[in-house]
Amino acid sequence: MIKLELQEKLKILADGAKYDASCSSSGSKRVSNKGFGNTSISGICHSFSSDGRCISLLKILMTNCCIFDCKYCINRKSNDIKRAIFTPEEICKITINFYRRNYIEGLFLSSGIIKSPDYTMNLMIETISLLRHKYHFGGYIHAKAIPGSSEYLLKKLGLLVDRLSANIELPSDASLKLLAPNKEGTKVSKIMNFVNTNKSKKFVPAGQSTQMIIGATKENDFHILKKSESMYNQYKLKRVFYSAYVPVNNDKLLPSIKIPPLVRENRLYQADWLLRFYNFKVKDILDENNPNFNLLIDPKADWALRHMDEFPKEINTCSYNDLLKIPGVGITSAKRIIKARKLFKLNFNDLKRMGIVLKRAKYFITCNGKYFIDSSFFKYSFIEKNLVLGDRKMTNKKIEQLALFNE
Amino acid sequence: MNKNNSVYLYDYSFLSLINLIKKLVQINVVPYDIKNKDYQANLFEDKIYLKTDEDEKVIKDIISKLGTNIFNTIYKIYLSNDKYKEITIYYFFVYSLKYKNKVFYMRNLKSINKALKISKYVGNEIHKFKGFLRFKELENKVLYAKMAPENNIILFLAKHFKNRLKNEYWIIHDVKRKILSIYDKKNYYFVNADDFKLSTNNLSKEEEDIQNLWKMFYKTISIKERKNDRCRMNFMPKKYWKYIIEVSDEDEKDN
Repeated sequence: MIKLELQEKLKILADGAKYDASCSSSGSKRVSNKGFGNTSISGICHSFSSDGRCISLLKILMTNCCIFDCKYCINRKSNDIKRAIFTPEEICKITINFYRRNYIEGLFLSSGIIKSPDYTMNLMIETISLLRHKYHFGGYIHAKAIPGSSEYLLKKLGLLVDRLSANIELPSDASLKLLAPNKEGTKVSKIMNFVNTNKSKKFVPAGQSTQMIIGATKENDFHILKKSESMYNQYKLKRVFYSAYVPVNNDKLLPSIKIPPLVRENRLYQADWLLRFYNFKVKDILDENNPNFNLLIDPKADWALRHMDEFPKEINTCSYNDLLKIPGVGITSAKRIIKARKLFKLNFNDLKRMGIVLKRAKYFITCNGKYFIDSSFFKYSFIEKNLVLGDRKMTNKKIEQLALFNE
Repeated sequence: MNKNNSVYLYDYSFLSLINLIKKLVQINVVPYDIKNKDYQANLFEDKIYLKTDEDEKVIKDIISKLGTNIFNTIYKIYLSNDKYKEITIYYFFVYSLKYKNKVFYMRNLKSINKALKISKYVGNEIHKFKGFLRFKELENKVLYAKMAPENNIILFLAKHFKNRLKNEYWIIHDVKRKILSIYDKKNYYFVNADDFKLSTNNLSKEEEDIQNLWKMFYKTISIKERKNDRCRMNFMPKKYWKYIIEVSDEDEKDN
């Protein structure tokens, strides 16, 4: 009977946690001297659910009881759903047993707000304290800070976990007021600020992240990306996660969509990478006159098409920064190109071997002055058509291969 | 470069392979191929068994002369299931002597590119299995995991779990190669699975409950509106599903 109860609880409290996009377990170098468990700096995915998302952490709620009534949230007060609450020992038991069997990399503990923010935080701290100090668990722990809890408790929790973060959920205060009347944006940014100013090797070593729901409110992509950029700058966030809105509640304030905006979510992630690793600024990617992503072309290729005067770039001479601007060239390949071209002159074949995605890159580069076909093809219309429709259908494969491989 | 048809033989071990390659370089012989001693040669090939030292010093020599990156690359290629791994190592070794660490950027040379690809493939599989390996608890509390990886990666996994599950007794079983790695809370050992009587049928009392908890969690955490089987398969290829308990039922259904 007790076992059945635990099964039932886990079902309810995992179901309530699944809409959080974050599952990363990277960025921490924890070793356990006394007990067991450690973390891997690059993170480890242990499984993949049937929606294709990585499962790395036991992602659960302490409780799905909540005094708040956020319109988009499945756990809101006004929903008539089964409620449950874990005891700290129950969470320890599941975490440890899953970890020993190598199902998971650690725990991701979030919670609805029960009684008060501080009361909830204390429950979470008690749980994670047990894991760390009674069971000497050295695996990865990500905890969600409860907005409105005291700094004393934030400090205490931050010293126990690898990552501590708070979800902003919606990109503007107006939207928050509309859909999450109990949740103030300032409370979330207060947490972010506190984590950022106190971050150290002992306090939240893996840094913080946040999440925004995409498509529940009317903000455009420019607005959302601006918000991300300012949070990256202000709080040194490790990641902003974007979660395509999945309609879980019926509410006249919510859009009535059936399919979550997954392509849009994907474009936001791509643009987010451009901001973090490719030295792009939001204003390069989107602006007020052009506030939404092209759903047919990824943001980098889209940018390149709008800046045709900067292309084609010569692979053998252009700077590292310029390499990063080429569609199909990633960080690793750009570094490889820089190292390799000191040793020999690169041609299209070499690029292919080095992992450059030629089916995108070839339109934007020259190798030793040569374009992949007759350079008269270097035209917006030709490239756009090919990128959108996929080159296989569009171009005559034979011409292409001759040009590519008769070096 | 293939001036001849001599296939040089080694006795399966890393040490014997690397000593052979070192010798070939010393006496300035370019082999047509290098194979293990049970290799069935074709009509045009000559098998040659060179007497070499079985000296462990060669490992230290390579590391001090060429660095750990090159050594690790060579070792990973040796552990791979690639049909031509021996001759690939030979060329990678020769080029490493010439180019040192620059070898990692000389992908314009076919054999270097091939070597780097194989070593990356092995490295990726090691990383995947750090996540995909599943232990079950036996009656005597020992944790036991079966696996069938493409490459011979058990050493790297043993190292990983020695740090991670250091307070447990565990056994990792490579069913393809019939190797067991056994950890006794201090060190890990490798034994031939045929030489070791192992009864793994009796599970601990809790095992089934925990497995059911996990399977239920796995199902619950998926968002049905986002279902994407292709994406899942890309990250978690079907060939590994047999021993991943949360998907092994689905795997059996399909077969």
